[in-house]
Amino acid sequence: MRSRFLVLLLVLAVAAAAQTAAQKYNPPRMADGHPDLEGTYDAATLTPLERRSGTALVMPKEEAAKLEAQAVAVKQQGDKSIDGDRSAPPKGGDGSPGPAGNVGGYNTGWLDTGSAYTVVDGQVRASIIIDPPDGRAPPLVPGRKAGESAYNFNIVGFLQAAINARPRPTSDQTESSDPGLERTPGAYDDPEARPLGERCLIGFGSTSGPPMLPNYFYNNNHQIVQTKDNVMILTEMVHDARIVRMNAQHLPKNIRLWLGDSVGHWEGDTLVVDTTNFTDKTAFRGASPDLHVIERFTREDAHTLLYRFTIDDPKTWTKPWTGEYSWPESKGPIYEYACHEGNYAMLDILKGARIREKEQAAKNGSK
Amino acid sequence: MQHRIWTSFLLPAVALCVMSWPAAAHHAFGSEFDADRPVILKGKIVKIEWINPHTWIHVEIIKEDGTKEEWMCEGGSPNTLLRRGANKNTFPEGTEIIIDGYQARDHTELRANARNVTFADGRKLFLGSTGTGAPNAEEFSTDKARKVGK
Repeated sequence: MRSRFLVLLLVLAVAAAAQTAAQKYNPPRMADGHPDLEGTYDAATLTPLERRSGTALVMPKEEAAKLEAQAVAVKQQGDKSIDGDRSAPPKGGDGSPGPAGNVGGYNTGWLDTGSAYTVVDGQVRASIIIDPPDGRAPPLVPGRKAGESAYNFNIVGFLQAAINARPRPTSDQTESSDPGLERTPGAYDDPEARPLGERCLIGFGSTSGPPMLPNYFYNNNHQIVQTKDNVMILTEMVHDARIVRMNAQHLPKNIRLWLGDSVGHWEGDTLVVDTTNFTDKTAFRGASPDLHVIERFTREDAHTLLYRFTIDDPKTWTKPWTGEYSWPESKGPIYEYACHEGNYAMLDILKGARIREKEQAAKNGSK
Repeated sequence: MQHRIWTSFLLPAVALCVMSWPAAAHHAFGSEFDADRPVILKGKIVKIEWINPHTWIHVEIIKEDGTKEEWMCEGGSPNTLLRRGANKNTFPEGTEIIIDGYQARDHTELRANARNVTFADGRKLFLGSTGTGAPNAEEFSTDKARKVGK
């Protein structure tokens, strides 16, 4: 445990040193002398969290330009007119690949997947993860499964898991998976079995985090509001707001929050946010409630923040890991998400499941 | 009121070369909508609900027997469109549109997914952005967004 702590210190020291070396820009400041980080930022990017094995962190600019052009071409293709005299789509489904369930997704106009690879220190990046150096999350602790909902072993959690006999939705789950009633028994039994984003509780793809990641789909904006004693980080989807208490102690371990308990301090011109006290409800990539996230926010220039995070959870990963990417400024204000108010779909999803069950039962009965 | 409108269910499969985003959606579309109930809805916008997690487009159609129906069609999150400058006045009531999609599994509901939303001539109502999603395309162009770091 001691050696792990030393490794974490080393990782953070290296991250801090790299950041210090990069700090040349003199940002505008608040009355207390600290950098003004306030603004609205768009975290959408084409850069994936992890990169393919054997590829380099820094992507040649030509390669990035080619891939970005492809992304633009997909959008332009999606914008093209189609036949005004078209018929209904095919019976039995439109053959859409992926988890949209063979009934199709949306026109590209609704989406905002990001259109550029992130650039840090003038380098186009092929992955958000910078440590481990291979750009992939470190191996899991033996016996741990990626994405597995991570209960602390307590009798309540154990019984819940046994009764439900299904993996519980996690914060980084995409909300589109439609495995079918037969393949995931119980996944449509009640609203609480549905993914957290589908329930309008927190954004999908770990947008609110921490760590705050792009979801490669839409609504990746964040707003920062800053005072001397508190920093508020609002994540567009689904109106998740984290209050970072500056220069404060963490809450007692028995007080647990969905987005964790965040406390902050300044290291030079970098805001460092330390988050612990997670619940067993979010389970980022299978993390336990003992997940520890350290985030570093640095203003890079008048229009950009650098966001860096280090993840540590000895119950889940064999060592800490670090990622970073830039957040370009976007225009606010962010449209209020008010997700519950419009979630007609939840009713239709559950109703649809009941209808499917009846159809299945009728089929079985007629055999 | 003589514009030609129809709903068609249970059509034989027609190979359509339409571009619909193949990827994920906010939620389980397959549970909500019935792949065996394709619809094409031609009619006039009654209203658009700019709400999350999904925009709902209300469209009034006139069936072949002359009776009217108001359908609700599910689109994506409105935030992206609003950020690009769309608002309640962008698509006024009465605008003629065509929506293709699939009806909700509960067939008593006049609801469908808005797989493609176009004007009567096939132009898409909602166009994608090639920027970062910010409304000012020039200020926040792809090149600008990448100009971070030193």
